[in-house]
Parts: sequence; structure tokens; C-alpha cells
Amino acid sequence: MGHARRKARLARGLEFFGMTAPALIAILLFVEIPFLMSITFSFTKWNGLDKAVKFIGLANYTELLTTDPGLGSAMIFTLLFTVIAVAATNVIALLLAVILDADIRGKNVLRAAFYIPNIISLIIIGYVWRFIFSRGFDSFSALTHLGIFQLSWLGDSRMAFASVALVSVWQSIGFYMVIYIAGLQTVPREQLEAAVIDGSGPVSRFFRITLPLIMPSVTVAVFYSLSNALKAFDVIFSLTFGGPGTATTSIALDIYKTAFSDSRFGYGSAKSVVLFLLILTLTVYQLTAFKRREVET
Amino acid sequence: MKRPRGALAISLVMWACALIYLYPLFLVVINSLKSFSEIMANVVALPSRLSGENFVNAFTLMRYPNLFLNTLFVTTMGTAGVVLLSSIAGYKLSRTRTRLSWLVFLLCVAPMMIPFHSFMIALVKVARTLHLTNSTWGLGIIYWGLGVPLSLFMYHGFVKTVPKELDDCAFIDGCRPLRAFFQVIFPLLQPVTVSVVVINAMWMWNDFLLPLLILSGAKKSMTLQLAAYNFFGQYKIEWQSAMAGVLLTITPAIIFYLILQRHIIKGMVAGAVKG
Repeated sequence: MGHARRKARLARGLEFFGMTAPALIAILLFVEIPFLMSITFSFTKWNGLDKAVKFIGLANYTELLTTDPGLGSAMIFTLLFTVIAVAATNVIALLLAVILDADIRGKNVLRAAFYIPNIISLIIIGYVWRFIFSRGFDSFSALTHLGIFQLSWLGDSRMAFASVALVSVWQSIGFYMVIYIAGLQTVPREQLEAAVIDGSGPVSRFFRITLPLIMPSVTVAVFYSLSNALKAFDVIFSLTFGGPGTATTSIALDIYKTAFSDSRFGYGSAKSVVLFLLILTLTVYQLTAFKRREVET
Repeated sequence: MKRPRGALAISLVMWACALIYLYPLFLVVINSLKSFSEIMANVVALPSRLSGENFVNAFTLMRYPNLFLNTLFVTTMGTAGVVLLSSIAGYKLSRTRTRLSWLVFLLCVAPMMIPFHSFMIALVKVARTLHLTNSTWGLGIIYWGLGVPLSLFMYHGFVKTVPKELDDCAFIDGCRPLRAFFQVIFPLLQPVTVSVVVINAMWMWNDFLLPLLILSGAKKSMTLQLAAYNFFGQYKIEWQSAMAGVLLTITPAIIFYLILQRHIIKGMVAGAVKG
């Protein structure tokens, strides 16, 4: 009896192991172990090729905080970019969603149209816009004589910032629009109709009824746009490669350059740890703050 | 139902917005048909003649059939692996109510909070140690580890809605656990599977940084996104071939989107909302 039960337990254990181990091993090998290794590397000096990995304690972190201007400027760029991209993306996407949720001719085609840039890779999007900014704007300015087309959209620091933000927002609003449309479809019509009878206008209806009801969608959309903006890499890589100078170098791109262009893997890893902590703190803070508002309303 | 007043005006405004919004992509199309001097003279003008010359050029320059198959292979292998690993494990973890199962589940989904850029340096090192660099096989396998957490999370949640009696039937029949899973449970998970396939396939097809890091040294295992980088990374860009190259690269994704539009949008939303 005891023997049979033990055998059954062993069989259950083996079955559990057999079905979960492949997934867990893949995750451990390609995410969790590399992540722990990154933390270890961050206390070392290593050029990526040598066998010799030298332990140097907190030296990478002190350099990062004191002497290196790279991460500081990347941090400022990333945070500024994040604020603007998150705000613009969500406001425009929500506005589009509200309009395209209404009874409008051809709304399905319109939704599909706004979604299209989202299915193209960010790296290609960056190159397409580099073509628009460098060659297209010449033609636009010859045609319209408008000043904005004569500016150096990729050559000037401030304009390059605007370009990166513009292209990122252009690429992503379709995705967030779709999230908001899904949220809007859960708003009960009766509640809106009752408000119409009470005589409230469309704007007050939106802020008093719709917005509180779709707060879960807002939480999700802001969360995604926030973590994507903090990780911004591909568009910048192909549009400006962080330039001019380091004006549009994000933290993720700074890590890439430190490790793979300057061959400073230990130092790059220290920056990786900073990026991880930054994203974790900001997204967890955002989620708790927004969830609290969801509960209140 | 009568459309409200002003709806037509709003509709017209939105159509105009959409046209402006997609104008950059229209410019890519018309310029892919022009000659280099035509592009330099005027980007906005329509091409003076219709010629597929640029496409032929781009097609051979980027070794399109080769790269297309590489990208397709990586995407298929990566997606299939993610579906298999995450559906089986997600199911088992959802059905097993022990402390160990909970711990494994946490280990499996925690990576959703770890940004790729914070472990990519060490990942390259791991990939080199395991001899996974410079091969499409290796790249596909690495995607398993990166793709499973979100997909497993989605399966894990959905399995709760599948009645438990069903697996009892399957297992009493004396099937081996995996066979029972694939014959009885897996078909019921189809809605999640569609989302998981869409999310992973779109991501792997369009991904750039991981292929760049893993395939950097190997010409024969390049993907389409890396080819775009080679086109535009040159000092003197041949815009006409580059524009054709862009279209050749994005067309498969666009076709995939047009065919599966509903599923793609639903899948993307599901992934975002559940993730």
C-alpha cells in the first residue's frame, strides 16, 4: 500500500517535472541566469573577449554616478522623451478611439489605417522617416516654402529630439487606440443616454462617465507606453543613432554602445542594472497609483 | 439607425487625417519606383515611368529569398517552441495546486518585469557558451526563453476557465499525460493559442536587436531586419533600392496583417491586457 502510494507520488512528480521543466529551463537559461550574470558583471571590469574578468567592487557604479556624463545625459533624454511620448501617445490614441468608437462611416477601415504603422518593425520605421526627414522635407519645402520643412530635423539637437518623439508616437498610437477602443466598448450605452437626457454635453459626459469607466484600459495603456518609452531603442538606432552627439541617446542605446562599441561589458552591465531599477520603480509606482484610482471610481 | 448630425463632417476629417497619417508610407511606395536622380530631384512627384528595376536590384542585393526563409524559419521555430512550452507548462502549473507549483509559476512569469536591455550583454555571453550564435537555430531557441513568460501567463489564466472534469476524462482513458493534453485540452485553448501565435510571430518577424547581437558575424543566417540595417547603414545610401528593400521587408507582415486582421488586433489587445 505505502509502496504503491509512493510510486504514484513519484509518477505525479515526474509528470509535473516533465511538463514544466522545458519552459523553466528556457527561461532560466535565456533570461534569469543572464540577468543575474549582468548583476555580477556590474562589479567587474571585462572587455567581453578576455578570459580575465577583474572584480573591481563598486568602481563601475561610482564612475557612473560621478565622472561619466554619458548615463546622465541618456537618463535626462530618456525621462524627457518618456514624459512627452507617454502623454502624447495616450491623449491622441484616446481621442482617436473615442471618435472611431462612434457611429462613423468607414470606421473599420479608419481603425485599420491607423494601426498599420504598428505592424512595421521599428527599425524600418526609423529608416523610412530618415528618408522623409532628409529627402522628403527638401521637396516639401520647395513645394510649400514653409519654414518647418527647412529646419534640420535630424541635425539639430532639439529638432532631433522632436523627430524621435514624433516618429515614436506616430508608430505606436494605433496600438493604444485599439486598447482604448476595447475599453470603450465596455461602457454601458444606457448610462451615456441617461446623461444625454440629463442635458450634459459630450465633453462633460466623457470626463464624468466614460473616463472613470475605462480607467482599467488607461492603466494598461499608460503602463505599456511607459515601459516601452523607457526602453526606447530601435527607432533611435535607425533614425539618429543617438545623435547629433549624444542628444538622442537613450539609456538602452547607451548600454548598447558602452558594451558593444566600447567593449566595456562590466560597465555596460552596471548601466543595465540602473535601467532595470529605473523601469521597475517607475512602472510599479504607476501601476499602484493608477490601480488606486480604478478602485476609487 | 440615423447617424447623428455632424457625423459626416467628422468622418471626412478623419479620412483626411488617415491620409496624412499614412502619407509617409505612400512616399515609400512611389519612390521605390523612381530612379535615383528622380528621387533627388523631387520626392513628392509621381514616378515618370513604372519600372520594377529597383525591386530586382534590392531583391538580388539583399538575397531576398534566402533572408526571407531565414526570417520565416526563426519566426516559425521560435513561435512553435513558445506555444508548445508555454501551453504545456501553463496548463500543468494552473492545475497543480502546490507550493512548488506556485514557486515555478513565479519563476516563469517574473521575467515579464525584466527589460531585455538589462540582460542582453550577459545573454550574448550565454549564447556564445552554448554555441547558439550565428545560427538561425540558435536564435529561434533563444526566443523560447524570451517569449514563454507572457505566453505561459496567458495560458495559465485561460486554463482556469476550462472545466477540470475534462482532464479527468482524458486521463482516466489511460492516455499518457502529453497525449491527453494534446487531444483534449490543447484544442480548447485555441483562443489563447491564436493570441500567443500572433504576438510572438509579429514580434520575432520584426525584432532587430536580438538578431543583431546573435547573428552579427554570419552572412548566411541574416534576417530581413538586419538587411534593412545594411541598406541604410551605408555612407552613401541608394535611396531607390533602399525604398524597394523596405517594401520587400514589410510586405509579408502587411499580408499577414490583412489576412488575420481581426485575430491580430484581438490578440495584441489580449496580450496587453493580460500581461
